Amino acid sequence: MKLHFAALMAAASIGAMSLATPAFAQVTLKIWSIDGVDRPGIADTWSKEFDEANEDIVVEYRAVPFDELVNETLRAFATGNAPDIVSFDNPDFAMFSSRGAMLDITDRVKNSEILSKAQYFEGPLNSVTWDGKLYGIPKYTDTIGVFYNKDLFAKAGITEPPQTWDEFAADAEKLTDSAAGVYGATFSARAGEEGTFQFLPIIQMSGGGYDHVNTEGAAQVLDLWKKMIDNGWASKDVLSLGQWDSTGTFNSGNAAMAVSGPWEVDRMIEDAKFDWGVTLLPTITEGGDRSSALGGFDWGIMSTTKHPDEAFRALEFFSSKDGTMFEDFGNLPARADIALPASGDAHKDAALKVFQEQLKYAQPRGPHPEWQKISKAIYDAMQAALTGQMSSKDALDQAQASIDTILGK
Amino acid sequence: MKHHRIRVSEFGWGEGAFSSSLKRRLLHPKCFAIRLLPQREGWSAARLGGLMQRFLSGLRDGVGFDILLISIAMLFLIAMAGLPLVYNVLMSFQQVDMFTLGSFIRPFAGIQNYIDVVRQPEFWLVTRNTAVFVFFSMAGQFVLGFALALFFAQKFPGAATIRGLFLVSWVMPGLVVGAIWSWILAGDFGVLNAILKSLGIIQSNIFWKSDPSVSIWAVIIANIWLGLAFNMLLLSVGLAGISRDLYEAAELDGANAFQRFWTITLPMMRSTIGAVLSLGLIGTLQQFDLFPAITEGGPANTSTVAQYWSWQMSFQLYDFAKGATISVMMLVLVLFASIIYVRSTRHEVRG
Repeated sequence: MKLHFAALMAAASIGAMSLATPAFAQVTLKIWSIDGVDRPGIADTWSKEFDEANEDIVVEYRAVPFDELVNETLRAFATGNAPDIVSFDNPDFAMFSSRGAMLDITDRVKNSEILSKAQYFEGPLNSVTWDGKLYGIPKYTDTIGVFYNKDLFAKAGITEPPQTWDEFAADAEKLTDSAAGVYGATFSARAGEEGTFQFLPIIQMSGGGYDHVNTEGAAQVLDLWKKMIDNGWASKDVLSLGQWDSTGTFNSGNAAMAVSGPWEVDRMIEDAKFDWGVTLLPTITEGGDRSSALGGFDWGIMSTTKHPDEAFRALEFFSSKDGTMFEDFGNLPARADIALPASGDAHKDAALKVFQEQLKYAQPRGPHPEWQKISKAIYDAMQAALTGQMSSKDALDQAQASIDTILGK
Repeated sequence: MKHHRIRVSEFGWGEGAFSSSLKRRLLHPKCFAIRLLPQREGWSAARLGGLMQRFLSGLRDGVGFDILLISIAMLFLIAMAGLPLVYNVLMSFQQVDMFTLGSFIRPFAGIQNYIDVVRQPEFWLVTRNTAVFVFFSMAGQFVLGFALALFFAQKFPGAATIRGLFLVSWVMPGLVVGAIWSWILAGDFGVLNAILKSLGIIQSNIFWKSDPSVSIWAVIIANIWLGLAFNMLLLSVGLAGISRDLYEAAELDGANAFQRFWTITLPMMRSTIGAVLSLGLIGTLQQFDLFPAITEGGPANTSTVAQYWSWQMSFQLYDFAKGATISVMMLVLVLFASIIYVRSTRHEVRG
């Protein structure tokens, strides 16, 4: 009897296995993103879910480190091994879409029941648009504002967070306590994309843009930043610290204000042993134009794909999950039509409200196929001015000349 | 040499008959070195047997084996060093963008890339930084390395063991060394600043990584530490090769320590010093890991050197033509230095 039962079980399990194997041909989609390198993220988790939800599709997901993603994709594209779907940082997207490396999905989105252009914020949408055509969809977005230490503000007798850059510098002076190792402010003026990310908004709020950087307002704010560094209200190391490390000094109480973004919130709740808040990025004059950086990644289908229909289904699937993105991964969906649920943490909910407000003013970097060169001209000028090698005006003029050459003016 | 030439001509690839599979294998593009040898029509079993015998005896008596080894080495050199070099030089005269990376044929750009590189606002700064970095890294590594080599050449208990410990720096990967120095040299909470302050040497922190006047020195300090052991090791070997008799004779003649160093050690070490310096030059121009780990070329390019700039152009700005152009410029520099080195060793003094 026992033997019979075992045989029956074996037969049943073999039957079940053969049933589970689909009779129809399977399509393999290759998806690349930076998520999942160190901890689970959007792309790896959702790729797996999409794979499981679709019997006819197998997803091969590959996590590529941030620094290698563009290079790796370029090489793969040049040798005909490109993935079907890839997720780029938004300023890198135009390099691919402008050169026909991404699939034009304008009509597919128009006919889609799940996706629509109207649901996205304008800035992120611009980053996937080239020459009036749509080459991808935003994955998530972020921006920057000012975190401030409420305890240190109270101690210095400051009641309101700064609204203009002049106030920001004045507050930084009052908040600085070199004996206790406390700087008034920290930010990232690093020689790299992060430096441009934090400085370009200043150019934009002064009436300029990536194609017009030598504005008077931008030079003024650069002078203020230099003054803060020279006087020790901000550490000299803001020139070499990335945003994550720079904000780390805020969390440990060594800086009273920090320019950074919503990705810091979860760590700050853990690390910061003080009361803190977030305010919008200051303006140049009181009530002046606002701007902020636009961060975040985009999804795109590469033009070499053999399975555009299945790949587009994947994008639709990803977009349908936007509602749970913030809860599960802490990223902000690039959509105006999704209300974020309250987390229950007062700090987090208050911060989120400010960042959602700030997103309305966020402007993209580019889009331009040679963004990296434009970005270098901008952060080189910023660093030349902050280290006193050139006056702010001369540095921005030199950047303008470089950018004009790149833009072919 | 003569012996070899006779044997090679006797080896006679062309006279025999090949089996078709052997022929196919030899005609494979990877075997083109062998394919260059003459072939004739008409294959027969007898000829094949004769050939095989010659081939095997060729392998046995060593000459055929020499050719085999040389051709493997040559193929490897051509594939791994020659082709990339040609590709790189070619690229510096072309208009390259990331989507034509895979092809050899691209629009010709003349010397426009070279003009563009020189016209970059940071060109002269990078040139100066590279010169400063190379000179002071090499000088530091060599002088300290020589001093340590001389020190450990003295016989004292534990000399060999302590010298061995110095090799730790040479064994460590550049990126790890860079990360450690990055912590040591940190501005607000760095170890070096804490030490210098407690010794009363400095009053306020030096921002090694963020101050434009010292940033290149931050990398030089780390690089000297990294290359010190290698210099010391090579120079120790050179010192060990000098006969004791010479020193004894000199001492009998009444030469003092300085005279012995100047008239015996230095001349006898000439070829070693030449090798150490030329390897040092190549190693310093190759030094890349420390830059991304410590300063990332900043602030404001004050610690950007040619090799880092070339990488930045190619892999951060995706301007592969300019990246290639900078590396060709560096190659010319290294070639020039190598010629000087080779010439200087012609009149070598042998012990």
